[in-house]
Amino acid sequence: MKKNILKIILGAIVIGVIGSCKPSIDIPKPSAGSMNPSYFVALGNSITSGYADGALYYSGQQNSFVNLLSGQFKLVGGGNFNQPLVPAGSVGVGSTGNAPFKLGYSTDCLGVTSLSPVPVSTSGDLSIFSNSVASSGPFNNMGVPGAKVITAVFQGYGNPLLGPGNYNPFFYRMTANPATSSMVTDATAQNPTFFSLFLGNNDVLAYALAGGASDMITPSAGPVGIGFDATYYSIVNSLTANGAKGVVGNIPDVTSLPFFTTIPYNGLALDSGNASLMNAVYNLRGLYFHVGNNPFVISDLSAPYGIRLMTPNDYMLLDVPLDSIKCHGMGSYHGGIPDKYILTATEVAGIKSATDAFNSTIRSAAQSKGLAFVDVNAFMKTTQKGIIYNGVTLNTSFVTGGAFSLDGVHLNPIGQALLANEFIKAINSTYGSTIPQVDVTKYRGVIFP
Amino acid sequence: MKRLYIGLIIFLPHFIHAQGFQVNLQGQKQQGMAGAGTGLIQDAAAVFFNPGGVSFLKENSATVGVTATIANGTFLDADSHTLNHTNSPVATPFTGYVVWGVKDSTSKLKNFKFGLGVYTPFGSIASWENGWTGRFALTYLSLQSIFIQPTVSYKVCEKLGIGAGFVYATGNVELKQDLPLLGVNGNYGSADLKGSANGYGFNAGIYYKPTDKLSVGLTYRSQVNMSVSNGTATFTVPASVASNFPSGPFTSSLPLPQVATLGFGYLVNSKLALAFDANFIGWKCLDTLAFTYKTTTATLQDTKLPRDYQNTFAFRLGAQYKLNDQFTVRAGAALSLTPIKDGYVTPEVPDANKVNLACGLGYRPMKNLILDASYTFENLTRTDNNIALQLNGTYKTYISAIGLSVIYQF
Repeated sequence: MKKNILKIILGAIVIGVIGSCKPSIDIPKPSAGSMNPSYFVALGNSITSGYADGALYYSGQQNSFVNLLSGQFKLVGGGNFNQPLVPAGSVGVGSTGNAPFKLGYSTDCLGVTSLSPVPVSTSGDLSIFSNSVASSGPFNNMGVPGAKVITAVFQGYGNPLLGPGNYNPFFYRMTANPATSSMVTDATAQNPTFFSLFLGNNDVLAYALAGGASDMITPSAGPVGIGFDATYYSIVNSLTANGAKGVVGNIPDVTSLPFFTTIPYNGLALDSGNASLMNAVYNLRGLYFHVGNNPFVISDLSAPYGIRLMTPNDYMLLDVPLDSIKCHGMGSYHGGIPDKYILTATEVAGIKSATDAFNSTIRSAAQSKGLAFVDVNAFMKTTQKGIIYNGVTLNTSFVTGGAFSLDGVHLNPIGQALLANEFIKAINSTYGSTIPQVDVTKYRGVIFP
Repeated sequence: MKRLYIGLIIFLPHFIHAQGFQVNLQGQKQQGMAGAGTGLIQDAAAVFFNPGGVSFLKENSATVGVTATIANGTFLDADSHTLNHTNSPVATPFTGYVVWGVKDSTSKLKNFKFGLGVYTPFGSIASWENGWTGRFALTYLSLQSIFIQPTVSYKVCEKLGIGAGFVYATGNVELKQDLPLLGVNGNYGSADLKGSANGYGFNAGIYYKPTDKLSVGLTYRSQVNMSVSNGTATFTVPASVASNFPSGPFTSSLPLPQVATLGFGYLVNSKLALAFDANFIGWKCLDTLAFTYKTTTATLQDTKLPRDYQNTFAFRLGAQYKLNDQFTVRAGAALSLTPIKDGYVTPEVPDANKVNLACGLGYRPMKNLILDASYTFENLTRTDNNIALQLNGTYKTYISAIGLSVIYQF
């Protein structure tokens, strides 16, 4: 009897040990469906390159959504993804030679210290522009900061002999033939089996970032290299000429970017004394002020006297000199805020109509070739209202929203991971693949001091 | 009494584990029969299972028991296909019961029995591995409750007993999560809410034995509102945002549900006994878990976590077979229906409808001494997309509970 009891006890212990094992759950087997990721090339602009916080730097490149995509593609037969990496120890460089931003403390003209983006150093690493990495190419990541649809086909886009402003130093450093290559020729020369195409933002954004005061919106009409529509179709035709499949993203509305939505139009707070002063200065020119929050005064050549009050339909840019506003009367007693810092309602309307037209072209071009299509515009609008990912609330607010980097235009790694998942969803639904998404919680947001 | 005292000292500092929040580990004989014991009165654990049946116990006795509970969980994130695991420590819910009555048949108190029970009817512990995908929802939850129940039972006649006990409940709760605020040191912020709680309730029962073979029990354990009046919220965040997350006191409350049970016992012959219990559990009381902070800011608002539990049932069937005067074997199975609706499953309690299987062994080395052991195994799988968290995936949990108790009769 006692032996039996022992057996029962031993049996119970054995079962107990089994019970203490970690339960396993079968992971669904990923498949590529009808797409072939063995050679993936990503054609795009700064978002594709991994540019963030106002600069191209190593860890930003590692977190580009296309690099994340390539990581997921490897689960279904994807190959190596070669990127034109800047040195890991370098601070990186922005398009004006600047260093990237970090979140730090700055003291304004009133002596108030607060959290704000500050450059990590006085200058970016300019050697990045002069040191070509083309010898380690060709590169799967053909994302070039600043590239437009119409410049992507420009042969000589990386040619320094054209002089500053007439070539793109980010393209120079990665192309083997700066004088003769375009982004598209460098991409197609690699004969990719799969591509991503996320271009067109800068065809409206370059103008928007200048407050509509310089650059221009790319016209829809016109030949390849001039007009958006013909150029976009030619790029899609080039990329699909070898039968490659791909995924295409459209353009987000610029007013979903924190660069345009962070500073309120009515941030001019006046007490009774200052309100009286403002009324004394401006009543004769038809502008009236009250105690409390008032709209800023902005320059607008189309308005009587060349100035008017800002409206909720105008957007102030994040790079407006805040010290001038706070201490030197810009936007109040000393005159209007210059046009280059304001996207007026009229300019916004022009941008929106161009964006709609471009997006219609992008969708048609994708459909004509049966490509996967990502409605990035709709995704940004959803994110603007707020999304929740595994318990984390994210939106497009500057710093606090969690998805944008400190330049207010480019995504941070969390945002890049969310974007990668939108691309994966579109690929899976178009090609019948079952590629897992990335775990967004593994990617960082803004770093707080 | 001394045994009980020692038992308390040994086991108080440990954590208490459960499937769901409800712990069905209140007596080794009953655990061996999948938790059935309201209609079949066997020992002093009747203080918990049916105060009405306590008056039918022939012997005075004291018992202490403990159950080592090992839970291992895995979560498969539906979108990223990443696997995440729990590192939950072994929990040791305990029980202690004493039943005493005068044995003098001429005493006015001869139909009374007095009892004291100390047990842990609700509790939970979940500890997820570092960096798991749901870390911003929950990294750790510990919920502990200890019920202390003095009891009086009265044998109305040879066939009917009634009894009731007052319940003083004490316990504590701790909840941790990461905050999506990354510091320059590479660490995310975290929140730790910790507090002790207490509440009151009662446990009442009727025991009816119409024939020598059949017995019926009906019990009602009241809802107990555990209130946390002086918790401490500790926020660890990067210095630049520390003023947005002031650490300080919080208040909260957690209702522990009412449970009504109808149970039957049937003695098939002198060796074989069967027990069946049906529980109604009033989980609808857990609608929202709310934490009210003494100091709030624009970024730190009071926490309100939707739970929206529903009332539910459990059914337990057990059998015991007396091999000889020394040894008894037991087995049972239970079906528990989850109180958690689809869309509300959280990593704190990834509960599911489940069947658990149990077996047990009784050994009586001496006339006055009985040892009982039990083993219970549960396998839970639940797939859900939590609405509030947007946490979508499959939870799978194995729970093993190995328990032992000692009964001394006097």
